[in-house]
Amino acid sequence: MSQPIVSLAGVTKAFGPFTALHDTNLQLNAGEFVTLLGPSGCGKTTTLRLIGGFEFATAGTISIEGRDVTALPPYRRPVNTVFQDYALFPHMTVEENVAYGLTVRGGAVSKQDRASRVRDALALVGLSAYGARLPGALSGGQRQRVAMARAIVKQPRVLLLDEPLSALDVKLRETMQIELKRLHRELGITFLMVTHDQNEALALSDRIVVMSQGRIVQVGAPTDLYDNPGSAYIADFIGASNLLDATFQSASDGVDVFRLGDGSLLRKARRGRETSAGLREGARVRLGIRPEHVHLAPVEGGNEIQARLAGSLFLGDRLRLELFPARSERPFFVDLHRNASSRRAPEAGETIKLYVGAEDVMCFAEPEQ
Amino acid sequence: MSFVTRRNAPAFLALFSGPFLWILVFMIIPYVVMISVSFWTRQFPLFVPDFQWGNYAKIVLDPQYATVVLRTLKIATIVTVVSSLLAYPVAYMLVFTIRSEALSNLLYMCVIVPLWVSYLLRAYTWKIILGTNGALNSLLISVGLIKEPLSIFLYNQTAMIITLVYIFIPFMIMPLYAVLKNIPRSLVEASEDLGVGPFHTFLRVILPLSMGGLVAGMTLTFCLSFGDFVAPVLVGGPDGTMVANLLQSQFGAALNWPLGSALATLVLLLVLVVLQVSSRFDRAGQIDLR
Amino acid sequence: MAFKKTAATLAVTASLLSQAATAHAGELNLLTWEGYAPDASVKPFEAASGCKVTATYVGSNDDFAAKLAAGGGVYDIITPSLDTVPMMQLAGFTQPIDVAKVKDYDGIYPEFAKAEALVAKGRIWAVPMVWGSVSIIYRPDKVPAPDSIGVLFDPKYKGRISLWDDKSAIYWTARYLGYSNIFDLSDKQLDTIKAKLIEQKSLTRKYWTSAGELTELIANGEVYVSNAWTGLTSKEVNALKKGFSVAEVTPKERAEGWMDSMMLVTGSPNTECAYKFMSFMQSPAGQCGIAQSTGYFPVNPKAVGTCMDETTRQERKVGNIDFVKSLVMWQQPKRLDKYIEVWNAVKSAP
Repeated sequence: MSQPIVSLAGVTKAFGPFTALHDTNLQLNAGEFVTLLGPSGCGKTTTLRLIGGFEFATAGTISIEGRDVTALPPYRRPVNTVFQDYALFPHMTVEENVAYGLTVRGGAVSKQDRASRVRDALALVGLSAYGARLPGALSGGQRQRVAMARAIVKQPRVLLLDEPLSALDVKLRETMQIELKRLHRELGITFLMVTHDQNEALALSDRIVVMSQGRIVQVGAPTDLYDNPGSAYIADFIGASNLLDATFQSASDGVDVFRLGDGSLLRKARRGRETSAGLREGARVRLGIRPEHVHLAPVEGGNEIQARLAGSLFLGDRLRLELFPARSERPFFVDLHRNASSRRAPEAGETIKLYVGAEDVMCFAEPEQ
Repeated sequence: MSFVTRRNAPAFLALFSGPFLWILVFMIIPYVVMISVSFWTRQFPLFVPDFQWGNYAKIVLDPQYATVVLRTLKIATIVTVVSSLLAYPVAYMLVFTIRSEALSNLLYMCVIVPLWVSYLLRAYTWKIILGTNGALNSLLISVGLIKEPLSIFLYNQTAMIITLVYIFIPFMIMPLYAVLKNIPRSLVEASEDLGVGPFHTFLRVILPLSMGGLVAGMTLTFCLSFGDFVAPVLVGGPDGTMVANLLQSQFGAALNWPLGSALATLVLLLVLVVLQVSSRFDRAGQIDLR
Repeated sequence: MAFKKTAATLAVTASLLSQAATAHAGELNLLTWEGYAPDASVKPFEAASGCKVTATYVGSNDDFAAKLAAGGGVYDIITPSLDTVPMMQLAGFTQPIDVAKVKDYDGIYPEFAKAEALVAKGRIWAVPMVWGSVSIIYRPDKVPAPDSIGVLFDPKYKGRISLWDDKSAIYWTARYLGYSNIFDLSDKQLDTIKAKLIEQKSLTRKYWTSAGELTELIANGEVYVSNAWTGLTSKEVNALKKGFSVAEVTPKERAEGWMDSMMLVTGSPNTECAYKFMSFMQSPAGQCGIAQSTGYFPVNPKAVGTCMDETTRQERKVGNIDFVKSLVMWQQPKRLDKYIEVWNAVKSAP
């Protein structure tokens, strides 16, 4: 693999007694779309700001294109940022905002060149007709595009995006997601985006960096993270997961057997390089099952779980059932596609049988926290 | 559709007659009286109602008035410029340099607190500092810079400017602080992110966005200094007479209210021009920061 | 309930206030100079007359007209100087005085009691109170005893000279220039005086506006020589014991004399108390009280016979009417407005 564009080596950031980022290593490759995902306070924004130069690392090294930039101020770093609140200069027109980064010493370009680059950048975000307006006269989505244009006109190798879509309403957010993806494709540069929205991360990223409490907990492609979450936390954060407390019972050829709280057994097929080594009989684990992998009709070689129906939510294209398996206090969700269920919808209070394929069971060897 | 219908007319009157009466009694009537009296004639020992332009003619033709008005303009301008040059870095530091919110608030309070002390007392303090046997001379003698106390610090226009700057600088810092505090940090970060260093970020982002506060502060300081009459009396020398002192003497010693009113009317016009000019600048600086 | 309580409190307060007000048979409001209503004489007067005295102070003679023109009626007695008395009468601010009601009026120097300025339309308009002179004050350790007004125009003392911020600066300059008609100067003379005073500005540290300010200027070492109200400033500077003392001298161009007298304000509702006060001021307690608190000279030699020792009587020129004659007594300038305009022009000049 070629040299990474951005590299964090052992980076720690402390704000007084509070450590926002612990000894973190991360590499971004050329042309990648990487997302920093996690709940607020997980250190994702701190990571982005450290790369942008708005914060300085307490320990460790940050390199961009092989150059150590750890101590450089933002205006000496070859990255540009799209801010969460857009941070457009309110006293400058759209054009002046976009041209701003091209007019200073160091970044200055000829007047003609500048004009054409501004024009191109505005065309790229579809705002060619808005150059003379002030930011105050634009909608949220338009401001977002100006912020994008202002950053990419500098032709950075890395574009940093700090929750770029969080201020937009749902409809607009979906449109802008497609727009972002298109821009990434057309520009061919590295995007590093911070978000707390897992759907956004799944939809846009080549790689997702999941963070929690100031640490990276897993890095992987969206499908990888979805199918093989490294922990119950990730399984629940990326997509939805039903979690069941269980103990390890026995292992046989390619299949592990677990005992649930009500005494029933659940079989899990091992996948890929997975092993059950290290699991002793009686070890406490958590099993995860995605809602879409639960069926109401028997599955061949599958598991059967008895659960009482507590209620249901109508979600348009599907029906989400809220169930409680025997002796479990965690709700267990099942999504039914409406067209797929020719059966009558079960009623609340009814105990029904759920079927889960052995290959759809995930196991997390972590103790109860 | 009119807001005032027959049914809510009494309520409307009740709501707005108060403010209107206030304006009438405390603003309109006094101005009308002042302007009327400016056309009266001084007739020893007092003055009589009249309509003539003699008072205005006298002010325009007698060079003593122009001398004083120009001197007052000069002093007010210097005070305004010096105050803004001193106040801006302070406000900037309070908002952008000091990271601790508590420390910044404390220092801001220190700037404001002198306003609670009597104006006279603060002006008088400078008399004690700048005098021949004052603190400044004592200091210069003790460090060996001079052997004999200097009398050049007090009773001249420099002393007036120092005193006025000291007294009015909070009026400059307050609006600047407020407007700087309103500038989102992310704008500064965005500028630096786009490759612009701190100095040009200041010139191109912070300064234009703080224009409203700067203009407000300069207007306040200018108008307050322009109308001051205490500093000339306390720390000014024989060449320190300002417009307000002239007014005071026309309404007092000279007992020439008509001439005083004419002078006051001209001063009022001058201040209105200043306000007009400043509001034009202010509009340019009024930008929605959201 | 709450309202009733408040109302009751108000009623009680009001009755207390009215009691306080009625504790005295009457009241008397003075518009006068600082030092002219010392507790030492006001307290006994209040006790004897039952009139409550309230004093407001002026900084110059021009303040009397300014205060009365802005709405009189508040004051019962004013005490302007000789040169301002006629104007008060002309402006209608004051009413004639029935001298029969003033006890010991006969004891006043006739030169003062019958002074031209106090008489108009065949009636008396003011009762003399106290008098004094304006001379040169100087620091003997810095300025060799001066004998002329010229010391105030001497470049040797540049930056150490002060002058009273008053139209009387014109009288001083006129005498220095040798004009004798100082209260009736011609335009040409006034122009010369104006030029001379403007030239003098560069020598002046500051114009003083009150005796207190002059005291401070001299005590702080800012000023070495000035014109001054004889007696008051020298007494106060020397009392401060700043390590130097000041002396006073009458210049060869003569010193100015002034005399302050009491006038009765038009429409005063307290004429009874006013006459009591005027009588009191001619008594030994009144004359000696004011002479002691100001350092000025009594106008009623009969009254001070009992309360002043021989040395003080000498100092205060009691019975020394020749001294009065040696002074240039203030008069109202024929063209007062012109004088004030000239003085204002001097102050406005660069």
